[in-house]
Amino acid sequence: MTIPWSDAPGHADADLLAGYADGTADPVAVWSVEDHLTGCARCRSALSAHADADRLARNRSALLVRVALPGDGRVRRLLTRCGVPDHLLGLLAATPSLRRSWLLSVIGVVAVVAGEAAAVRYGWIRAGRTGILAGRPVHPAGYPDPEVLAPFLLIGPPLVLAGVAAAFLPSVDPACRLAVAAPFSGFTLLLVRTVCALAAALVPVVGAAFVMPGPGWLPAALLLPVLAVCVFALALATVMQPRAAAITAGTLWALPALLLAAARVPLAIVQPDAQVACAAVLCASAVVLLARHDRIEWGWVR
Amino acid sequence: MTPNVSTAPVGLDGLSRRYGSTQALDAVDLALEHGITGLLGPNGAGKTTLLSILATVNEPDAGRVSVFGLDPRRAAERVQIRRRLGYLPQDLGYHRHFTVAGFLDYVAILKEITDRRRRAEEVARVLAVVGLEGRARTRIRALSGGMRQRLGIAQALLGEPGLLILDEPTAGLDPEQRLRFRELLSGLPGDPVIVLSTHQADDIAAICPRVVVLLQGQVHFIGTPAELAATAAGRVWAADERGGSAHLSWRGGDNRWRHIGDQPPAGADLVAPTVEDGYLLLCHAADAR
Repeated sequence: MTIPWSDAPGHADADLLAGYADGTADPVAVWSVEDHLTGCARCRSALSAHADADRLARNRSALLVRVALPGDGRVRRLLTRCGVPDHLLGLLAATPSLRRSWLLSVIGVVAVVAGEAAAVRYGWIRAGRTGILAGRPVHPAGYPDPEVLAPFLLIGPPLVLAGVAAAFLPSVDPACRLAVAAPFSGFTLLLVRTVCALAAALVPVVGAAFVMPGPGWLPAALLLPVLAVCVFALALATVMQPRAAAITAGTLWALPALLLAAARVPLAIVQPDAQVACAAVLCASAVVLLARHDRIEWGWVR
Repeated sequence: MTPNVSTAPVGLDGLSRRYGSTQALDAVDLALEHGITGLLGPNGAGKTTLLSILATVNEPDAGRVSVFGLDPRRAAERVQIRRRLGYLPQDLGYHRHFTVAGFLDYVAILKEITDRRRRAEEVARVLAVVGLEGRARTRIRALSGGMRQRLGIAQALLGEPGLLILDEPTAGLDPEQRLRFRELLSGLPGDPVIVLSTHQADDIAAICPRVVVLLQGQVHFIGTPAELAATAAGRVWAADERGGSAHLSWRGGDNRWRHIGDQPPAGADLVAPTVEDGYLLLCHAADAR
Protein backbone atom coordinates (compact mmCIF):
# COMPACT_ATOMS: atom_id res chain seq x y z
CA MET A 1 0.00 0.00 0.00
CA THR A 2 1.37 3.46 -0.85
CA ILE A 3 1.23 6.16 1.76
CA PRO A 4 2.31 9.24 -0.15
CA TRP A 5 3.04 11.61 2.66
CA SER A 6 4.95 9.14 4.82
CA ASP A 7 7.81 9.08 2.29
CA ALA A 8 8.45 12.78 2.87
CA PRO A 9 11.99 13.68 3.98
CA GLY A 10 12.48 13.32 7.76
CA HIS A 11 9.75 10.72 8.10
CA ALA A 12 9.75 6.93 8.08
CA ASP A 13 9.15 5.54 4.58
CA ALA A 14 6.52 2.96 3.75
CA ASP A 15 8.95 -0.01 3.61
CA LEU A 16 10.41 0.83 7.00
CA LEU A 17 6.95 1.15 8.59
CA ALA A 18 5.86 -2.13 6.99
CA GLY A 19 8.98 -3.84 8.36
CA TYR A 20 8.34 -2.34 11.79
CA ALA A 21 4.69 -3.44 11.76
CA ASP A 22 5.38 -7.06 10.81
CA GLY A 23 8.40 -7.37 13.10
CA THR A 24 11.04 -7.90 10.39
CA ALA A 25 12.91 -4.58 10.80
CA ASP A 26 16.32 -4.82 12.48
CA PRO A 27 16.55 -3.72 16.14
CA VAL A 28 18.38 -0.44 15.41
CA ALA A 29 15.69 0.56 12.89
CA VAL A 30 13.00 -0.42 15.42
CA TRP A 31 14.50 1.90 18.05
CA SER A 32 14.75 4.76 15.55
CA VAL A 33 11.16 4.28 14.38
CA GLU A 34 9.85 4.09 17.95
CA ASP A 35 11.77 7.19 18.91
CA HIS A 36 10.36 9.01 15.88
CA LEU A 37 6.81 7.72 16.35
CA THR A 38 6.50 9.20 19.84
CA GLY A 39 6.75 12.71 18.37
CA CYS A 40 5.18 12.27 14.92
CA ALA A 41 1.42 11.91 14.56
CA ARG A 42 1.73 11.70 10.76
CA CYS A 43 3.90 8.54 10.91
CA ARG A 44 1.75 7.01 13.66
CA SER A 45 -1.22 7.40 11.40
CA ALA A 46 0.74 5.96 8.45
CA LEU A 47 1.75 2.98 10.60
CA SER A 48 -1.86 2.00 11.30
CA ALA A 49 -2.29 1.21 7.59
CA HIS A 50 0.41 -1.46 7.88
CA ALA A 51 -1.00 -3.14 10.96
CA ASP A 52 -2.49 -6.60 10.48
CA ALA A 53 -5.96 -6.41 12.03
CA ASP A 54 -6.06 -10.16 12.82
CA ARG A 55 -2.68 -10.04 14.48
CA LEU A 56 -3.70 -6.99 16.48
CA ALA A 57 -6.86 -8.75 17.62
CA ARG A 58 -4.86 -11.84 18.59
CA ASN A 59 -2.33 -9.74 20.49
CA ARG A 60 -5.12 -7.90 22.25
CA SER A 61 -6.76 -11.19 23.35
CA ALA A 62 -3.41 -12.59 24.51
CA LEU A 63 -2.77 -9.39 26.45
CA LEU A 64 -6.18 -9.66 28.12
CA VAL A 65 -5.39 -13.26 29.10
CA ARG A 66 -2.05 -12.21 30.58
CA VAL A 67 -3.82 -9.54 32.59
CA ALA A 68 -6.37 -12.13 33.75
CA LEU A 69 -3.69 -14.51 35.00
CA PRO A 70 -2.91 -14.32 38.70
CA GLY A 71 -0.16 -11.81 39.43
CA ASP A 72 3.26 -12.85 40.59
CA GLY A 73 3.21 -12.82 44.37
CA ARG A 74 6.27 -12.01 46.44
CA VAL A 75 7.26 -15.66 46.85
CA ARG A 76 6.86 -16.34 43.15
CA ARG A 77 8.95 -13.31 42.19
CA LEU A 78 11.66 -14.38 44.64
CA LEU A 79 11.73 -17.94 43.30
CA THR A 80 11.82 -16.69 39.69
CA ARG A 81 14.78 -14.50 40.62
CA CYS A 82 16.47 -17.56 42.13
CA GLY A 83 16.24 -19.23 38.71
CA VAL A 84 13.15 -21.44 39.20
CA PRO A 85 11.43 -21.63 35.77
CA ASP A 86 8.16 -19.75 35.58
CA HIS A 87 6.20 -22.72 34.18
CA LEU A 88 7.31 -24.90 37.09
CA LEU A 89 5.82 -22.38 39.51
CA GLY A 90 2.62 -22.45 37.46
CA LEU A 91 2.43 -26.23 37.95
CA LEU A 92 2.96 -25.95 41.68
CA ALA A 93 0.04 -23.52 41.96
CA ALA A 94 -2.28 -26.53 41.71
CA THR A 95 -0.66 -28.43 44.58
CA PRO A 96 -3.03 -28.24 47.55
CA SER A 97 -0.36 -28.65 50.22
CA LEU A 98 1.51 -25.60 48.92
CA ARG A 99 -1.47 -23.34 49.46
CA ARG A 100 -1.55 -20.83 52.28
CA SER A 101 -4.46 -22.44 54.14
CA TRP A 102 -2.71 -25.80 54.24
CA LEU A 103 0.61 -24.39 55.43
CA LEU A 104 -1.13 -22.30 58.08
CA SER A 105 -2.84 -25.40 59.48
CA VAL A 106 0.49 -27.29 59.60
CA ILE A 107 2.11 -24.36 61.40
CA GLY A 108 -0.89 -24.21 63.78
CA VAL A 109 -0.71 -27.88 64.76
CA VAL A 110 3.07 -27.79 65.19
CA ALA A 111 2.83 -24.61 67.29
CA VAL A 112 0.25 -26.18 69.65
CA VAL A 113 2.37 -29.31 70.14
CA ALA A 114 5.59 -27.33 70.56
CA GLY A 115 3.87 -24.99 73.02
CA GLU A 116 2.68 -27.93 75.11
CA ALA A 117 6.18 -29.44 75.19
CA ALA A 118 7.69 -26.10 76.22
CA ALA A 119 5.07 -25.72 78.97
CA VAL A 120 5.97 -29.13 80.42
CA ARG A 121 9.71 -28.51 80.14
CA TYR A 122 9.60 -25.20 81.97
CA GLY A 123 7.33 -26.49 84.69
CA TRP A 124 4.12 -24.67 83.69
CA ILE A 125 2.54 -28.15 83.47
CA ARG A 126 3.67 -31.10 85.63
CA ALA A 127 5.89 -33.56 83.76
CA GLY A 128 5.56 -37.34 83.98
CA ARG A 129 8.19 -39.76 85.21
CA THR A 130 11.60 -40.26 83.65
CA GLY A 131 11.70 -42.72 80.75
CA ILE A 132 12.17 -46.42 81.48
CA LEU A 133 13.39 -48.92 78.91
CA ALA A 134 13.81 -52.63 79.76
CA GLY A 135 13.30 -51.88 83.45
CA ARG A 136 16.02 -49.20 83.62
CA PRO A 137 15.54 -45.44 83.73
CA VAL A 138 16.70 -43.61 80.62
CA HIS A 139 18.20 -40.13 80.73
CA PRO A 140 19.40 -38.78 77.41
CA ALA A 141 22.38 -36.53 78.16
CA GLY A 142 21.36 -33.00 79.05
CA TYR A 143 17.68 -33.72 78.61
CA PRO A 144 15.72 -35.10 81.55
CA ASP A 145 12.17 -35.10 80.14
CA PRO A 146 12.14 -37.04 76.87
CA GLU A 147 8.45 -37.87 77.16
CA VAL A 148 7.45 -34.23 76.59
CA LEU A 149 8.65 -34.73 73.01
CA ALA A 150 6.38 -37.74 72.41
CA PRO A 151 3.43 -35.79 70.92
CA PHE A 152 5.78 -33.83 68.67
CA LEU A 153 7.54 -36.96 67.37
CA LEU A 154 4.18 -38.61 66.84
CA ILE A 155 2.65 -35.71 64.94
CA GLY A 156 5.52 -33.89 63.17
CA PRO A 157 6.60 -36.52 60.59
CA PRO A 158 3.02 -37.58 59.68
CA LEU A 159 2.20 -33.89 59.11
CA VAL A 160 5.00 -33.71 56.54
CA LEU A 161 3.82 -37.02 55.07
CA ALA A 162 0.28 -35.65 54.80
CA GLY A 163 1.59 -32.66 52.83
CA VAL A 164 3.51 -34.94 50.50
CA ALA A 165 0.54 -37.30 50.15
CA ALA A 166 -1.69 -34.37 49.22
CA ALA A 167 0.78 -33.57 46.45
CA PHE A 168 0.39 -37.02 44.87
CA LEU A 169 -3.05 -38.31 45.89
CA PRO A 170 -5.40 -38.21 42.89
CA SER A 171 -8.33 -37.65 45.23
CA VAL A 172 -7.07 -34.19 46.22
CA ASP A 173 -6.20 -33.16 42.66
CA PRO A 174 -9.54 -32.68 40.91
CA ALA A 175 -7.90 -32.34 37.51
CA CYS A 176 -5.62 -35.36 37.92
CA ARG A 177 -6.95 -37.08 34.79
CA LEU A 178 -5.77 -34.14 32.73
CA ALA A 179 -2.42 -34.19 34.47
CA VAL A 180 -2.00 -37.89 33.70
CA ALA A 181 -2.92 -37.52 30.02
CA ALA A 182 -0.52 -34.60 29.49
CA PRO A 183 3.08 -34.95 28.33
CA PHE A 184 4.46 -33.10 31.37
CA SER A 185 2.98 -35.63 33.68
CA GLY A 186 3.37 -38.72 35.72
CA PHE A 187 6.61 -39.19 37.49
CA THR A 188 8.19 -35.79 36.78
CA LEU A 189 5.14 -33.88 37.94
CA LEU A 190 4.84 -36.13 40.98
CA LEU A 191 8.46 -35.56 41.97
CA VAL A 192 8.33 -31.80 41.45
CA ARG A 193 5.23 -31.49 43.60
CA THR A 194 6.49 -33.91 46.23
CA VAL A 195 9.85 -32.20 46.68
CA CYS A 196 8.19 -28.79 47.06
CA ALA A 197 5.50 -30.05 49.45
CA LEU A 198 8.17 -31.86 51.46
CA ALA A 199 10.30 -28.74 51.72
CA ALA A 200 7.32 -26.54 52.62
CA ALA A 201 6.06 -28.85 55.39
CA LEU A 202 9.53 -29.64 56.73
CA VAL A 203 10.30 -25.99 57.46
CA PRO A 204 7.75 -25.53 60.31
CA VAL A 205 8.41 -29.01 61.75
CA VAL A 206 12.21 -28.63 61.84
CA GLY A 207 11.81 -25.01 62.93
CA ALA A 208 9.68 -26.13 65.89
CA ALA A 209 12.30 -28.76 66.79
CA PHE A 210 14.84 -25.94 67.07
CA VAL A 211 12.80 -23.86 69.50
CA MET A 212 11.52 -26.81 71.52
CA PRO A 213 13.23 -27.83 74.75
CA GLY A 214 14.80 -30.95 73.20
CA PRO A 215 18.34 -32.11 72.58
CA GLY A 216 20.29 -29.97 70.10
CA TRP A 217 20.57 -32.77 67.55
CA LEU A 218 16.82 -33.29 67.31
CA PRO A 219 16.17 -31.11 64.18
CA ALA A 220 18.91 -32.87 62.19
CA ALA A 221 17.91 -36.32 63.45
CA LEU A 222 14.30 -35.70 62.34
CA LEU A 223 15.22 -35.21 58.68
CA LEU A 224 16.18 -38.79 57.87
CA PRO A 225 13.05 -40.46 59.35
CA VAL A 226 10.79 -37.90 57.68
CA LEU A 227 12.44 -38.43 54.30
CA ALA A 228 12.32 -42.20 54.77
CA VAL A 229 8.58 -42.18 55.59
CA CYS A 230 7.75 -39.98 52.58
CA VAL A 231 9.84 -41.88 50.02
CA PHE A 232 8.52 -45.15 51.47
CA ALA A 233 4.96 -43.89 50.85
CA LEU A 234 5.85 -43.06 47.23
CA ALA A 235 7.46 -46.47 46.72
CA LEU A 236 4.37 -48.16 48.18
CA ALA A 237 2.23 -46.18 45.71
CA THR A 238 3.86 -48.20 42.91
CA VAL A 239 2.34 -51.41 44.29
CA MET A 240 -0.95 -50.24 45.82
CA GLN A 241 -3.50 -47.42 45.67
CA PRO A 242 -1.84 -44.05 46.48
CA ARG A 243 -4.20 -43.38 49.39
CA ALA A 244 -3.56 -46.82 50.94
CA ALA A 245 0.17 -46.23 50.47
CA ALA A 246 0.07 -42.95 52.40
CA ILE A 247 -2.01 -44.46 55.22
CA THR A 248 0.27 -47.51 55.47
CA ALA A 249 3.41 -45.38 55.64
CA GLY A 250 1.86 -43.13 58.30
CA THR A 251 0.81 -46.15 60.36
CA LEU A 252 4.26 -47.73 60.09
CA TRP A 253 5.69 -44.53 61.59
CA ALA A 254 3.03 -44.16 64.27
CA LEU A 255 3.21 -47.74 65.62
CA PRO A 256 6.85 -47.76 66.83
CA ALA A 257 6.50 -44.10 67.85
CA LEU A 258 3.47 -44.97 70.03
CA LEU A 259 5.22 -48.00 71.55
CA LEU A 260 8.31 -45.97 72.41
CA ALA A 261 6.15 -43.15 73.77
CA ALA A 262 4.35 -45.68 75.98
CA ALA A 263 7.73 -46.93 77.23
CA ARG A 264 8.57 -43.24 77.90
CA VAL A 265 11.57 -43.27 75.56
CA PRO A 266 10.18 -41.50 72.49
CA LEU A 267 13.63 -40.15 71.57
CA ALA A 268 14.80 -43.67 70.72
CA ILE A 269 13.02 -43.19 67.40
CA VAL A 270 15.54 -40.56 66.32
CA GLN A 271 18.67 -42.07 67.91
CA PRO A 272 21.56 -43.80 66.03
CA ASP A 273 20.02 -47.29 65.56
CA ALA A 274 16.79 -45.77 64.25
CA GLN A 275 18.77 -43.44 61.96
CA VAL A 276 20.54 -46.41 60.38
CA ALA A 277 17.20 -48.19 59.92
CA CYS A 278 15.71 -45.05 58.35
CA ALA A 279 18.66 -44.70 55.97
CA ALA A 280 18.15 -48.32 54.90
CA VAL A 281 14.39 -47.78 54.34
CA LEU A 282 15.12 -44.57 52.42
CA CYS A 283 17.62 -46.26 50.08
CA ALA A 284 15.46 -49.33 49.49
CA SER A 285 12.37 -47.16 48.83
CA ALA A 286 14.27 -44.93 46.41
CA VAL A 287 15.44 -47.99 44.46
CA VAL A 288 11.88 -49.39 44.29
CA LEU A 289 10.49 -45.99 43.28
CA LEU A 290 12.98 -45.52 40.46
CA ALA A 291 12.59 -49.08 39.21
CA ARG A 292 8.79 -49.00 39.24
CA HIS A 293 7.98 -45.33 38.55
CA ASP A 294 6.17 -46.40 35.40
CA ARG A 295 3.50 -48.01 37.59
CA ILE A 296 2.68 -44.69 39.24
CA GLU A 297 1.82 -43.16 35.87
CA TRP A 298 -0.50 -45.95 34.82
CA GLY A 299 -2.07 -46.67 38.17
CA TRP A 300 -2.48 -43.11 39.33
CA VAL A 301 -6.16 -42.66 38.62
CA ARG A 302 -7.47 -46.18 38.96
CA MET B 1 -15.56 -49.76 3.98
CA THR B 2 -14.17 -50.74 7.37
CA PRO B 3 -10.70 -49.26 7.93
CA ASN B 4 -7.86 -51.63 8.70
CA VAL B 5 -6.88 -51.75 12.39
CA SER B 6 -3.15 -51.94 11.65
CA THR B 7 -2.97 -49.17 9.06
CA ALA B 8 -5.44 -46.63 10.49
CA PRO B 9 -4.01 -43.59 12.35
CA VAL B 10 -5.46 -44.94 15.57
CA GLY B 11 -6.08 -48.67 16.03
CA LEU B 12 -7.35 -50.85 18.87
CA ASP B 13 -6.71 -54.55 18.54
CA GLY B 14 -8.37 -57.11 20.83
CA LEU B 15 -8.69 -54.61 23.68
CA SER B 16 -10.03 -56.01 26.97
CA ARG B 17 -10.38 -54.52 30.39
CA ARG B 18 -11.99 -55.94 33.51
CA TYR B 19 -12.90 -54.20 36.78
CA GLY B 20 -13.46 -56.85 39.42
CA SER B 21 -16.24 -59.06 38.07
CA THR B 22 -17.30 -56.54 35.41
CA GLN B 23 -15.96 -56.97 31.89
CA ALA B 24 -15.81 -53.31 30.82
CA LEU B 25 -14.28 -54.06 27.41
CA ASP B 26 -14.31 -57.42 25.68
CA ALA B 27 -11.91 -57.93 22.76
CA VAL B 28 -12.63 -54.62 21.01
CA ASP B 29 -11.16 -54.15 17.53
CA LEU B 30 -11.53 -50.65 16.15
CA ALA B 31 -9.83 -48.46 13.56
CA LEU B 32 -10.23 -44.70 13.79
CA GLU B 33 -9.66 -42.52 10.73
CA HIS B 34 -9.17 -38.77 10.46
CA GLY B 35 -12.44 -36.93 11.04
CA ILE B 36 -15.10 -37.48 13.66
CA THR B 37 -16.08 -40.90 14.97
CA GLY B 38 -19.05 -41.05 17.31
CA LEU B 39 -19.09 -43.65 20.05
CA LEU B 40 -22.65 -44.45 21.01
CA GLY B 41 -23.72 -46.62 23.91
CA PRO B 42 -25.73 -46.65 27.13
CA ASN B 43 -24.19 -45.93 30.53
CA GLY B 44 -21.86 -48.74 31.57
CA ALA B 45 -21.24 -49.89 27.99
CA GLY B 46 -17.48 -49.30 28.31
CA LYS B 47 -17.25 -45.99 26.41
CA THR B 48 -15.37 -44.16 29.16
CA THR B 49 -12.99 -47.08 29.72
CA LEU B 50 -12.27 -47.26 25.99
CA LEU B 51 -11.59 -43.52 25.77
CA SER B 52 -9.43 -43.46 28.91
CA ILE B 53 -7.27 -46.27 27.48
CA LEU B 54 -6.99 -44.35 24.22
CA ALA B 55 -6.00 -41.26 26.23
CA THR B 56 -3.17 -43.27 27.89
CA VAL B 57 -4.74 -42.70 31.31
CA ASN B 58 -5.66 -46.34 31.74
CA GLU B 59 -4.02 -49.57 30.75
CA PRO B 60 -5.78 -52.51 29.06
CA ASP B 61 -5.59 -56.02 30.54
CA ALA B 62 -5.12 -57.44 27.06
CA GLY B 63 -4.86 -56.19 23.50
CA ARG B 64 -2.90 -53.50 21.72
CA VAL B 65 -3.37 -49.80 21.08
CA SER B 66 -1.58 -47.93 18.32
CA VAL B 67 -1.80 -44.13 18.06
CA PHE B 68 -0.07 -42.67 15.00
CA GLY B 69 2.13 -45.78 14.95
CA LEU B 70 3.15 -45.29 18.60
CA ASP B 71 2.69 -47.88 21.35
CA PRO B 72 1.52 -46.43 24.71
CA ARG B 73 3.06 -49.38 26.58
CA ARG B 74 6.50 -47.83 25.99
CA ALA B 75 7.06 -44.84 28.26
CA ALA B 76 8.83 -42.69 25.63
CA GLU B 77 6.17 -43.36 23.00
CA ARG B 78 3.43 -42.70 25.55
CA VAL B 79 4.79 -39.19 26.04
CA GLN B 80 4.89 -38.73 22.25
CA ILE B 81 1.20 -39.70 22.10
CA ARG B 82 0.35 -37.29 24.91
CA ARG B 83 2.04 -34.45 23.02
CA ARG B 84 -0.53 -34.91 20.26
CA LEU B 85 -3.51 -35.55 22.48
CA GLY B 86 -6.46 -33.42 23.55
CA TYR B 87 -8.62 -35.14 26.17
CA LEU B 88 -11.89 -34.15 27.78
CA PRO B 89 -12.63 -36.73 30.51
CA GLN B 90 -16.23 -37.38 31.47
CA ASP B 91 -15.74 -36.18 35.04
CA LEU B 92 -13.20 -33.46 34.46
CA GLY B 93 -12.40 -31.94 37.84
CA TYR B 94 -11.58 -28.27 38.20
CA HIS B 95 -9.45 -26.49 40.72
CA ARG B 96 -12.24 -24.25 41.87
CA HIS B 97 -9.98 -21.46 43.08
CA PHE B 98 -8.57 -21.06 39.56
CA THR B 99 -9.83 -18.45 37.14
CA VAL B 100 -10.76 -19.57 33.62
CA ALA B 101 -7.48 -18.18 32.24
CA GLY B 102 -5.51 -19.57 35.19
CA PHE B 103 -6.89 -23.07 34.63
CA LEU B 104 -6.13 -23.02 30.90
CA ASP B 105 -2.67 -21.65 31.63
CA TYR B 106 -2.09 -24.57 34.02
CA VAL B 107 -3.21 -27.12 31.42
CA ALA B 108 -1.06 -25.38 28.78
CA ILE B 109 1.97 -25.85 31.05
CA LEU B 110 1.06 -29.54 31.45
CA LYS B 111 1.05 -29.64 27.65
CA GLU B 112 4.62 -28.36 27.68
CA ILE B 113 3.87 -24.86 26.37
CA THR B 114 6.52 -23.33 28.59
CA ASP B 115 6.90 -19.93 26.93
CA ARG B 116 4.68 -17.47 28.78
CA ARG B 117 3.78 -15.36 25.76
CA ARG B 118 2.93 -18.38 23.59
CA ARG B 119 0.81 -19.76 26.40
CA ALA B 120 -1.20 -16.54 26.63
CA GLU B 121 -1.75 -16.56 22.85
CA GLU B 122 -2.85 -20.19 22.90
CA VAL B 123 -5.19 -19.64 25.87
CA ALA B 124 -6.71 -16.60 24.10
CA ARG B 125 -7.17 -18.66 20.93
CA VAL B 126 -9.08 -21.52 22.59
CA LEU B 127 -11.15 -19.11 24.68
CA ALA B 128 -12.27 -17.42 21.45
CA VAL B 129 -13.06 -20.81 19.86
CA VAL B 130 -15.47 -21.78 22.65
CA GLY B 131 -16.84 -18.25 23.07
CA LEU B 132 -15.54 -17.66 26.58
CA GLU B 133 -13.15 -14.78 25.80
CA GLY B 134 -15.09 -12.44 28.06
CA ARG B 135 -14.76 -14.84 31.00
CA ALA B 136 -10.98 -15.06 31.32
CA ARG B 137 -10.97 -13.53 34.81
CA THR B 138 -14.04 -15.37 36.13
CA ARG B 139 -13.45 -17.95 38.84
CA ILE B 140 -14.41 -21.47 37.78
CA ARG B 141 -16.79 -21.88 40.74
CA ALA B 142 -18.83 -18.96 39.37
CA LEU B 143 -19.37 -20.58 35.94
CA SER B 144 -22.58 -22.32 34.91
CA GLY B 145 -22.49 -26.04 34.02
CA GLY B 146 -22.59 -25.32 30.29
CA MET B 147 -19.74 -22.81 30.58
CA ARG B 148 -17.65 -25.32 32.51
CA GLN B 149 -18.23 -27.86 29.78
CA ARG B 150 -17.05 -25.31 27.21
CA LEU B 151 -13.99 -24.66 29.34
CA GLY B 152 -13.35 -28.43 29.32
CA ILE B 153 -13.57 -28.45 25.53
CA ALA B 154 -11.24 -25.41 25.41
CA GLN B 155 -8.53 -27.16 27.43
CA ALA B 156 -8.74 -30.18 25.11
CA LEU B 157 -8.10 -27.90 22.12
CA LEU B 158 -4.90 -26.40 23.59
CA GLY B 159 -1.89 -27.12 21.40
CA GLU B 160 -3.97 -28.10 18.33
CA PRO B 161 -3.96 -31.85 19.06
CA GLY B 162 -3.88 -34.50 16.33
CA LEU B 163 -6.08 -36.84 18.39
CA LEU B 164 -9.04 -35.32 20.18
CA ILE B 165 -10.86 -37.54 22.68
CA LEU B 166 -14.10 -36.09 24.00
CA ASP B 167 -16.06 -38.06 26.59
CA GLU B 168 -19.65 -36.79 26.65
CA PRO B 169 -18.74 -33.30 25.38
CA THR B 170 -22.33 -32.17 24.89
CA ALA B 171 -23.52 -33.10 28.39
CA GLY B 172 -24.82 -29.95 30.07
CA LEU B 173 -24.90 -27.85 26.88
CA ASP B 174 -28.14 -26.15 25.87
CA PRO B 175 -29.40 -26.60 22.26
CA GLU B 176 -27.71 -23.46 21.00
CA GLN B 177 -24.41 -24.38 22.63
CA ARG B 178 -24.67 -27.88 21.12
CA LEU B 179 -25.03 -26.32 17.68
CA ARG B 180 -21.99 -24.12 18.34
CA PHE B 181 -20.08 -27.17 19.49
CA ARG B 182 -20.93 -28.99 16.26
CA GLU B 183 -19.80 -25.93 14.32
CA LEU B 184 -16.48 -25.69 16.14
CA LEU B 185 -15.74 -29.42 15.71
CA SER B 186 -16.43 -29.17 11.99
CA GLY B 187 -14.08 -26.20 11.63
CA LEU B 188 -11.00 -27.55 13.45
CA PRO B 189 -7.79 -27.07 11.47
CA GLY B 190 -5.38 -29.90 10.58
CA ASP B 191 -7.95 -32.70 10.11
CA PRO B 192 -7.45 -34.34 13.53
CA VAL B 193 -8.74 -37.77 14.54
CA ILE B 194 -11.71 -37.00 16.77
CA VAL B 195 -13.54 -39.55 18.93
CA LEU B 196 -16.53 -38.41 20.88
CA SER B 197 -18.76 -40.46 23.09
CA THR B 198 -22.37 -39.63 23.71
CA HIS B 199 -25.73 -41.18 24.30
CA GLN B 200 -27.39 -38.49 22.20
CA ALA B 201 -28.13 -40.10 18.85
CA ASP B 202 -28.96 -36.73 17.29
CA ASP B 203 -25.41 -35.46 17.95
CA ILE B 204 -24.07 -38.49 16.12
CA ALA B 205 -26.46 -38.05 13.20
CA ALA B 206 -25.55 -34.35 12.92
CA ILE B 207 -21.74 -34.41 12.95
CA CYS B 208 -20.25 -37.90 12.76
CA PRO B 209 -19.48 -39.48 9.40
CA ARG B 210 -18.81 -42.72 11.30
CA VAL B 211 -20.55 -44.23 14.28
CA VAL B 212 -19.53 -47.09 16.55
CA VAL B 213 -22.12 -48.65 18.85
CA LEU B 214 -20.62 -50.15 21.99
CA LEU B 215 -22.84 -52.40 24.09
CA GLN B 216 -21.75 -54.43 27.12
CA GLY B 217 -18.10 -53.88 26.27
CA GLN B 218 -18.38 -55.10 22.70
CA VAL B 219 -18.60 -53.35 19.35
CA HIS B 220 -22.04 -54.08 17.88
CA PHE B 221 -22.00 -51.74 14.91
CA ILE B 222 -19.52 -49.76 12.82
CA GLY B 223 -20.76 -47.68 9.90
CA THR B 224 -22.30 -44.40 8.86
CA PRO B 225 -25.28 -42.88 10.69
CA ALA B 226 -27.41 -43.65 7.60
CA GLU B 227 -26.38 -47.31 7.78
CA LEU B 228 -27.25 -47.39 11.49
CA ALA B 229 -30.68 -45.93 10.73
CA ALA B 230 -31.08 -48.45 7.90
CA THR B 231 -30.72 -51.37 10.35
CA ALA B 232 -34.20 -50.42 11.58
CA ALA B 233 -35.75 -50.21 8.10
CA GLY B 234 -39.13 -51.91 7.98
CA ARG B 235 -39.40 -52.11 11.77
CA VAL B 236 -40.48 -48.57 12.70
CA TRP B 237 -44.15 -47.67 12.59
CA ALA B 238 -46.50 -44.82 13.40
CA ALA B 239 -50.03 -45.56 14.61
CA ASP B 240 -52.97 -43.79 16.24
CA GLU B 241 -53.41 -46.50 18.86
CA ARG B 242 -51.01 -48.29 21.12
CA GLY B 243 -51.03 -52.01 20.41
CA GLY B 244 -49.24 -54.80 18.63
CA SER B 245 -46.09 -56.21 20.14
CA ALA B 246 -43.44 -53.54 20.09
CA HIS B 247 -39.96 -53.61 21.59
CA LEU B 248 -40.47 -49.97 22.38
CA SER B 249 -43.30 -47.54 21.84
CA TRP B 250 -43.92 -43.96 22.82
CA ARG B 251 -46.27 -41.14 21.90
CA GLY B 252 -44.54 -38.57 19.71
CA GLY B 253 -45.04 -34.83 19.43
CA ASP B 254 -47.57 -35.39 16.61
CA ASN B 255 -49.72 -37.33 19.10
CA ARG B 256 -49.17 -40.61 17.21
CA TRP B 257 -47.59 -43.72 18.69
CA ARG B 258 -44.17 -44.64 17.40
CA HIS B 259 -43.57 -48.40 17.51
CA ILE B 260 -40.26 -50.11 17.07
CA GLY B 261 -40.62 -53.84 16.51
CA ASP B 262 -41.73 -56.51 14.13
CA GLN B 263 -45.45 -56.68 14.94
CA PRO B 264 -47.14 -53.30 14.47
CA PRO B 265 -50.67 -52.49 15.67
CA ALA B 266 -53.48 -52.54 13.12
CA GLY B 267 -53.53 -49.56 10.79
CA ALA B 268 -49.92 -48.58 11.47
CA ASP B 269 -47.87 -46.85 8.77
CA LEU B 270 -44.30 -47.78 8.09
CA VAL B 271 -42.08 -44.70 8.64
CA ALA B 272 -38.47 -43.85 7.82
CA PRO B 273 -36.19 -44.95 10.66
CA THR B 274 -33.78 -42.56 12.41
CA VAL B 275 -30.33 -43.17 13.89
CA GLU B 276 -32.00 -43.38 17.29
CA ASP B 277 -34.35 -46.14 16.09
CA GLY B 278 -31.41 -48.18 14.79
CA TYR B 279 -29.53 -47.67 18.04
CA LEU B 280 -32.52 -48.62 20.21
CA LEU B 281 -33.05 -51.81 18.21
CA LEU B 282 -29.38 -52.75 18.64
CA CYS B 283 -29.66 -52.14 22.40
CA HIS B 284 -32.80 -54.30 22.54
CA ALA B 285 -31.13 -57.12 20.62
CA ALA B 286 -28.10 -57.01 22.94
CA ASP B 287 -30.33 -57.04 26.06
CA ALA B 288 -32.32 -59.99 24.71
CA ARG B 289 -29.20 -62.14 24.44
